[in-house]
Amino acid sequence: MQSLIAENNEKRKLLNKENKKIYEDMLMYVRLSYNKSETETEEVLMELLDHLLILQQEGRDASELFGDDPKQYANEIVGELPQMISKKLIMLFFMGVFYFLGVATFLNGLVSVIFHYGFGLLESSQTYYVGTISINTLLSLGIAFILVYAFIRYISWTCFKDVSKIFELLFTGIVFGALPFGTFLALFYFMPSFGPSITIEVYWLILIGICFYLLGSFFKRKA
Amino acid sequence: MAIRSQLLKGILEGCILAIIARETVYGYELAVKLQNQGLDVSEGSIYPILLRLQKEKLIQGELRKSPSGPNRKYYRLTDAGQESLLTFRENWENVKKPVDQLLRGKEEI
Repeated sequence: MQSLIAENNEKRKLLNKENKKIYEDMLMYVRLSYNKSETETEEVLMELLDHLLILQQEGRDASELFGDDPKQYANEIVGELPQMISKKLIMLFFMGVFYFLGVATFLNGLVSVIFHYGFGLLESSQTYYVGTISINTLLSLGIAFILVYAFIRYISWTCFKDVSKIFELLFTGIVFGALPFGTFLALFYFMPSFGPSITIEVYWLILIGICFYLLGSFFKRKA
Repeated sequence: MAIRSQLLKGILEGCILAIIARETVYGYELAVKLQNQGLDVSEGSIYPILLRLQKEKLIQGELRKSPSGPNRKYYRLTDAGQESLLTFRENWENVKKPVDQLLRGKEEI
């Protein structure tokens, strides 16, 4: 699988500028159909690339392969790709969950440690309320998944389109940056404290973060 | 539009099975052979069909080194594909003559 992707990366360099643009949009769009079998996806992408390279050598246009509406053609391809097996999809789901928890906990710990031991700010320990932290974690995971999904949809939408850089910067900055960041902050600020409390030293957060991350890698290997 | 394209897709599927039954081919080769037969289809339209035929296990693709170097995906017919081709041929024979007659305006009533 990896070798097919590497071969694709190499061969793509042989495309001329216009063909490269249209093919890479196609590639992005088809790969973003995340619940399809990866092998079949990469194999058909390679077939299309080989075909396009032959057309290019013969001086023919990419539209002879993709038709007049490349996006519709990409949808046809995606529609015929077989589904990914659900076991793999579930493993990838848990991988996402634990990677997210790992990075979030690790960064939280790292920032707290730097502030406390570096600048003498913040406490050396933090108190968590089991009820509050559980609800916040679940809600954060929900937001993170919606965010990833929305981002995938956004990128597919930009395929086969010329989107102005300023629009892209503003839109992604607000929708995928400021908005979710504000929501996360509000969540932790306004959520009332309930449930039994636990107090831990902040450096433990770094270790817990690493454990979550390793768990994520475990699920990735299982997938 | 829907019925028309469904009909054409079905016929194209049958033709693709017929070509693959004769020899194993890869994508581009298949497109050329269809065009040489005089079937004026857009070259890209074969790939969604090849994917569907694989899903239905009528054909099987295999990545192999080609004589000219790069890996290519060669397709061959499965047993189910052979059967499907026979059925297609039968259906086609049954429908060909009456439709031809009808279109030439020589119906016998």
